[in-house]
Amino acid sequence: MATIELVPRPATIKKIIEESRDVKSYVLQTDESQKMVTRPGQFVEVSVQGFGEATFAVTRTAKDGRDFMISVKRMGHLTKMLHRAAPGDIVGIRGPYGNSFPVDDWKGKDITVIGGGIGLAPLRPVIDHILQHRKDYGKLEIIFGARTPGDILYKEDLKVWENDKKISLHTTIDVPFEGWSGRVGVVPVVVKDLALKPDNKIAIVCGPPIMIKFTVAALRELKWPDDRIFTTLEMKMQCGIGQCGRCNIGEKFVCKDGPVFSLDQIPDHAL
Amino acid sequence: MSKWHKIKRADLKSFVSNLAEKWEVWVPYCTDGKWEFGIYNPGRDLDLPETIINVSLKSLFFAKRRPIATYDDNSKWSLKQVSPESRPRIIIGLHPCDIAAVEYMDRVFLKSKHKDTMYESERKRTTLVGMLCSEMAENCHCTDRGLTPDSTEGMDAAFVRVGGHYLFRSMTDKGKRIMQSQYLKMVDEAPEKKKWPAGKYAIASPEEFMEMYDDEIWDELSDICLTCGICTYACPTCICFQVTDEKYEGKGERVTVWDSCQLQSYSRMAGGHNTRKTPASRVRNRTLDKFAYSHLRYGMISCTGCGRCVMVCPLKRSFPQLGARVSERIREKKKGKAGTSARSKEA
Repeated sequence: MATIELVPRPATIKKIIEESRDVKSYVLQTDESQKMVTRPGQFVEVSVQGFGEATFAVTRTAKDGRDFMISVKRMGHLTKMLHRAAPGDIVGIRGPYGNSFPVDDWKGKDITVIGGGIGLAPLRPVIDHILQHRKDYGKLEIIFGARTPGDILYKEDLKVWENDKKISLHTTIDVPFEGWSGRVGVVPVVVKDLALKPDNKIAIVCGPPIMIKFTVAALRELKWPDDRIFTTLEMKMQCGIGQCGRCNIGEKFVCKDGPVFSLDQIPDHAL
Repeated sequence: MSKWHKIKRADLKSFVSNLAEKWEVWVPYCTDGKWEFGIYNPGRDLDLPETIINVSLKSLFFAKRRPIATYDDNSKWSLKQVSPESRPRIIIGLHPCDIAAVEYMDRVFLKSKHKDTMYESERKRTTLVGMLCSEMAENCHCTDRGLTPDSTEGMDAAFVRVGGHYLFRSMTDKGKRIMQSQYLKMVDEAPEKKKWPAGKYAIASPEEFMEMYDDEIWDELSDICLTCGICTYACPTCICFQVTDEKYEGKGERVTVWDSCQLQSYSRMAGGHNTRKTPASRVRNRTLDKFAYSHLRYGMISCTGCGRCVMVCPLKRSFPQLGARVSERIREKKKGKAGTSARSKEA
């Protein structure tokens, strides 16, 4: 019988990591026969039986191709149900879907990763890729903004990145917070303060819509050309395969033609 | 392609009745003045309307509510996909605008990286038998969309009425299979090709529509549209859907359900962010999707000129009028007459 693409296959929750007060990460494992080969920037559809399905960026993949990780911020009904899940529970997955960051085209370039909150999730595979292929890339710069210290994700990674002398990491929170001695200021302001130069660089930006909008404006002010600013867009997606209709920006479907776009590929109203 | 065969109008029911012994047969039936396809019922009168049928073919290939998997709600995971229907069926009495809509659905569901295999089995099991139009109804405007009401293109077989009888012929192998009938007599006759008038809703080119995104007209058009979404359900090419889990007494189904880009919930995300919050943005999205985006994605616009959207619109204005209004504005702009829309002139 022909497979129905919209019907998911099972995956087991192997591990749950409490990232912040409203974000949990899940290590999911598929059957051995159905390995997940995922490129940085791709996403999956994750189901909780009886409650439906939603789109999540793959935020890390294991080398054997069986395990992969998603990060889930508690926002609506499905994410609430996912937050109630326990290790050993089974969820449904479809995918991976979507295009990916063209990391091969970026060889020899410096990469600036700019993430806001949960927006760091789809960017982390790019960081992982660069760290695994160090020789192929120039400098790596990471700017990560969270609303409060309690919203900071991937603390283990941040420690590793902080201690890596070849990475310049700037972690910032939106407004002053008692006990926080680090950088304060929203991401677009930090981008301007750092006066990021575009020379031989690629910038990848993801975060809440308003953060993307103003970060892009800041980069443009600093004379970054549109074809070297990449973003991964979030729209309401359902099918993931360009058929249900809702995630369109003009004639493009974010799920099928994206989610990764350079700014010269999308109109400004998409931001 | 077979030669034309003649069949008496009085023999139509017997012909169809014979087919129904072997096949699942769908024909148009009129209930309370509204035509809709239904499974052949020997107890009902049979007639083939020679112009638009109120309810489109869409739901016969892509049902409003379509179970794709079942599950036991008492388990944490037991989702199993359903088996698609494979019994051969014949749909009799469809028109060129219906065929064009099926062609559009094929481009979305079949000529895609991920085929919709349930749609594919519905297509495979179906023989499409047309009834060529002899007139254009009040809201028909397929001639504005490049179609011809009496064309057999895309059909497996077709009827055309000539006086008191029908001419019938097959165009494909699928159609050939239903030609074996005592009621069909080969003739040397062929139907006359008619000259068809243009409709009321001529439109600009997809490229011209693409230029209209930032125009002020959308605000003006949203004044004459309630964004109720009924036109999207009546439209034979509006196939947007959502996927949802439904359960009743422990038995669960995962279903695809028709959705509408005219409804606010369509693009609303869990955090409340909505890229198309205003009626104007939704009217713009649908109008451009019909007349431009669809062309860029699939090489054909997703309006077949059937006019069903006008028939169901509570304001009787609906999309052909919006499309025509935008096209008119495109012409005005080209002439350099109108730097501003009617709305901003008023303001």
